[in-house]
Amino acid sequence: MIAVVGFGFASFALAGGFIAQTFEALKEGTIRSVGDLQIVDKRAIGKAEEATLEFGIPDARRARSIAAKDPDVEAVLPRIDFVGLATNGIRSVPFLGVGVDPGPEAAATLAPELVVSGKYLTGDGGEGIVLGTGLASALEVKPGDRVTLMATTRDGSLNAVDGVVEGLVDVKIKELNDRYLAGGIGLVSRLLQSPETVSKLVIFLKPHSSTRENEAAARLAKEFQAAGFPIAVRHWKELAVFYGQVRLLYIGIFGFVGAVLVVIVVLSAAIVMTMAVTERTREIGTLRALGTRPAGILGMFLSEGVVIAVAGCLAGMLFALVVRAGLNASGIILPPPPGATHGMPIHVNFYPLAYVAGLGAMVLTMSIASFFPARRASRIAIVEALAHV
Amino acid sequence: MASAASTSPSPLIVASDVSRTYHLGASAVPAVRGVSLSIARGEFVALRGPSGSGKTTLLNLLGLLDSPDPESGRVMVEGRDARALSENQRSDLRRDRFGFVFQTFNLIPVLTSEENVAYPMALAQVPAAERRRRARALLQSVGLSGKEGVRPDLLSGGQRQRVAIARALANEPSVVFADEPTANLDSHTSEEILDLMREINAAREVAFLFATHDPLVVRRARRVVTLHDGAVESDVPA
Repeated sequence: MIAVVGFGFASFALAGGFIAQTFEALKEGTIRSVGDLQIVDKRAIGKAEEATLEFGIPDARRARSIAAKDPDVEAVLPRIDFVGLATNGIRSVPFLGVGVDPGPEAAATLAPELVVSGKYLTGDGGEGIVLGTGLASALEVKPGDRVTLMATTRDGSLNAVDGVVEGLVDVKIKELNDRYLAGGIGLVSRLLQSPETVSKLVIFLKPHSSTRENEAAARLAKEFQAAGFPIAVRHWKELAVFYGQVRLLYIGIFGFVGAVLVVIVVLSAAIVMTMAVTERTREIGTLRALGTRPAGILGMFLSEGVVIAVAGCLAGMLFALVVRAGLNASGIILPPPPGATHGMPIHVNFYPLAYVAGLGAMVLTMSIASFFPARRASRIAIVEALAHV
Repeated sequence: MASAASTSPSPLIVASDVSRTYHLGASAVPAVRGVSLSIARGEFVALRGPSGSGKTTLLNLLGLLDSPDPESGRVMVEGRDARALSENQRSDLRRDRFGFVFQTFNLIPVLTSEENVAYPMALAQVPAAERRRRARALLQSVGLSGKEGVRPDLLSGGQRQRVAIARALANEPSVVFADEPTANLDSHTSEEILDLMREINAAREVAFLFATHDPLVVRRARRVVTLHDGAVESDVPA
């Protein structure tokens, strides 16, 4: 029985650590992409732009300096979202573009790590652009090649600029790889003919300030309002629909597996405790004859259930730690999560809450599983118990 | 049928017209029928009779391990009607006033001799140090000095029964019920165990009530109650 409880506990602890690590990695990856906070024009909330930068933030340099002054802010990244056509002179392919400030972008996000060929943008970006691998393949270009970008300007006319492919990136999501293009703010502003206007400011908070996200958001909103910017502050969770969906999916899967595990432990424990009561019927009769009250017998078997649970959890804890070390050292690569193109190495965190929850679940499970056999034991007629063979 | 105990002063246990019927499917089997009996302090009584005569059933009724048929008579323990007692009160009464010795010893296998003897004292919430002292003294009195830390499976049958006797005396009971205490012992060991019980009976004024068909026990009893078909056939001084 201790082995069953130990296995159940280890499953809880390992699954909990794995889930926690997965959520943490997902959260980290999401924040590295969308920032802790985003500052957008109020009109952009719940509406799509009909024209390029229709809901842009003007006077971006001043807006950026206001945000940068906040004590909890580590980095402010201006971004321009736009769409257009890229052509190699023979073939044109639509793209989803983003204008960035390359230096801060490279420092705060995972962008440089996504480069699979060439290099990421440097300095102010100049004429440089980076393309998703799928887009580069469609255009049949490689680092060093020139590409013409075409887009609609703010006033609705068509404009074009030339860019030089600096690098190719794999953004982990196939559909986005086929459309992704990034260029420096300067190049993109020239293309869209919208100097000093950005779609949003992406805010990264200092590591120790991540728990003060709400306070920082409120302060920024107040500062921008005072400076005459009609903006709204959005939190990363509002922007990370994918994160929420994956989280729910994982909770559903692991919740179901956990429930099955609990049922297995409850049934095993109930069978073992019932057998224990049957095997010890004569002993129960003796204890009752000697003056043990029915509640004493009930308590004795319940206590045994709890002791088995605690002993099993201690054994399971050792087992979980050994398995965890083995898994983390194994280098096993897990299949890509939904929407991603690359798998990730398995890593199981030491997540104390999972251990505490596992202990609680096992003690509760064993108590429930022990209760009915224990109650039966406390109600056995003494003479029948003494005559039991 | 004479009742040798009827003239004894201050009876510990009085059974008045008690019956016990077992129901096996549709058939009713009367195990004890209208028995009246009293046991006084310091008695040494043997209940004898052939198998199925109701010895063990009567012992169980007198020891409050079982209850008589509802429509039959009653068992009084030190003046208290057992029918009026709750299950917990019956448990407490067995713990404080009774001791039990079984044919198969019924020691708790995972406990040492000392722990087995101390168990009834633990139920009575005797402090740990006092339990230990008394348990050791009791084991010494039954000739088991040096066996305090030994578990039952490493003891001989006679030694186990001695531990069981020490356990029965743990809370200084007024009566010890012994169901075939010599049935699993050889004759020499049986003699020793019975001598020990007689010594305790004499020294502590503890009443002993045996259910037995062993002639050795019957010979040592000072009063013999003979049962036949669940009824008292005779009750005479030995």
